[in-house]
Amino acid sequence: MKFNWKPYILTLIVLLILFPFVYMVLLSLASEWRFPDLLPSYFGLRNWLKIIGSETGLLHSFLISVSISLSVATVSTLSGFFISRSVSYHPKKRVLTLLTYFPYILAPVVFAACLSYFFLRMGLFGNATGVIVAQFMITFPYALIFFSSFWNQRTKNLEDLVATLGGNQLQTFFKMLFPIAKGMLLICFFQTFLISWFEYGLTSIIGVGKVQTLTIKVFLFIKEANFYYGALSCCLLIFPPVVLLYLNKRYVFNKLV
Amino acid sequence: MRNKFSHIGLVFFVLIGVIPFAAAFIYALLYSLGIVGVLNSGFTLQHWQTVLASSEVFKSFGYSALVAAISVVISVSFALWLALKFRKEFDQKILSFIIYLPLAIPGVVAAFFTFQLFSRAGFFSRLAYQLGWINEVSQFPDLVNDALATGIIITFITIVMPFFVLLFLNVYKNERVGNLSELAYSLGASSKQVLWRVSLPVILRKTWTLIALYFIFLLGAYEIPLLLGQESPQMLSVLIIREIKQFDLSKISEGYAIAIIYTIVVSVAVSALFSRKNKTLNEI
Repeated sequence: MKFNWKPYILTLIVLLILFPFVYMVLLSLASEWRFPDLLPSYFGLRNWLKIIGSETGLLHSFLISVSISLSVATVSTLSGFFISRSVSYHPKKRVLTLLTYFPYILAPVVFAACLSYFFLRMGLFGNATGVIVAQFMITFPYALIFFSSFWNQRTKNLEDLVATLGGNQLQTFFKMLFPIAKGMLLICFFQTFLISWFEYGLTSIIGVGKVQTLTIKVFLFIKEANFYYGALSCCLLIFPPVVLLYLNKRYVFNKLV
Repeated sequence: MRNKFSHIGLVFFVLIGVIPFAAAFIYALLYSLGIVGVLNSGFTLQHWQTVLASSEVFKSFGYSALVAAISVVISVSFALWLALKFRKEFDQKILSFIIYLPLAIPGVVAAFFTFQLFSRAGFFSRLAYQLGWINEVSQFPDLVNDALATGIIITFITIVMPFFVLLFLNVYKNERVGNLSELAYSLGASSKQVLWRVSLPVILRKTWTLIALYFIFLLGAYEIPLLLGQESPQMLSVLIIREIKQFDLSKISEGYAIAIIYTIVVSVAVSALFSRKNKTLNEI
């Protein structure tokens, strides 16, 4: 009889995937965990309770991160949707699409370092507005590329049909294009939210440490060798994307395929 | 009316998508040539000569390319194996969600996690001590901030591989690789021939552009090498930011010169990837 090793490998894969999540939660609950102890000497909710007291400013960072990511995701999804139409129907679509790739592919931190002079001149250095604008510059090309497949011949034919039946531009957008693009709009929103939520390098350059998003906080705690608060920040950083992934998969992706 | 909307859209595209990139590039170029910037007094090629004569920049390029290439090759190989061996199992309800979970882990967290596990006072070191394999911290091998970039490569793989698994599973379904394989079997092909002549060529031909794109992404990665890398050589983005943000103001121009070289290399690579084939990410 042939030995079936698949269940063991699958179990190992599941454990490897879940391990970081479990480890981060455990580390966030621990303190005074010194080498060579395999388990911490304190294990409880002390670190988490400190957040509620806002002693570390983590709650504030969480709220800033949520506000920045929601703003970036909303603006880039809507602008990407509208502007990608102009790009996709343009006779020079190939060249325009290629131009879109350049800011998308460049390391955001290098892009931010080269742009920082302009942000300084415009008074956008070291504040949340500047970080939103800078992050928008990298999520916007993503949204453009994402929506380029939506504007195909079928969509154009539908637009022409609405025009033939007497519909105006606004009616075309609100009664035809938005309903059929609803799923893609939601996925793009989630993706751009995640790009913004995960961003560190660009935020550190444009925010100059004054805009303390969660990713900045994680680095600060690591530099201070405060690994328990670092893990706690990581938990706050991981769980919103997990919820988004679940919603994305449960309510959006499954209905699209 | 329709044209008017289209023109407004194009104006915004240029304003948001093109001008910032062009402005960043021109500013960096002017700075590197000594035309603008603190302590610069006029056109000079001195900064470029210093950068091109320095071995550090080329070492950094080579080091970054090697680390990115090793990470991509290992990730793609493992992801292909997992996608082809476990595609039916990954379709099950709970597993189909669990395999998406790694996408929720950002680079910063992955780097922190690797540090916690593989550093000399980390989890595996403690485990090794408890098992009696080591007697003190220094006996545990250097796996983070090491010359071989072990920590960086492990983290890159954990970040990139889950994405490739999902991509290959998707391509397997969309390209009907299963049906093609059955056809090959019915024509007398062996399992090996089906793997090497049907499944792998179809999947890799469909995804190689994205694989190349991930190589470029990893080439410019910042936070992971910042946390897990060593002092020298450093990965490209870390080196560029170190030069631009350091206290020695005379070095800033050299940082911008490296940024220009990096931007040109990446832009040429992207042009080669997308312009001739007329391919976009959505077509993959």
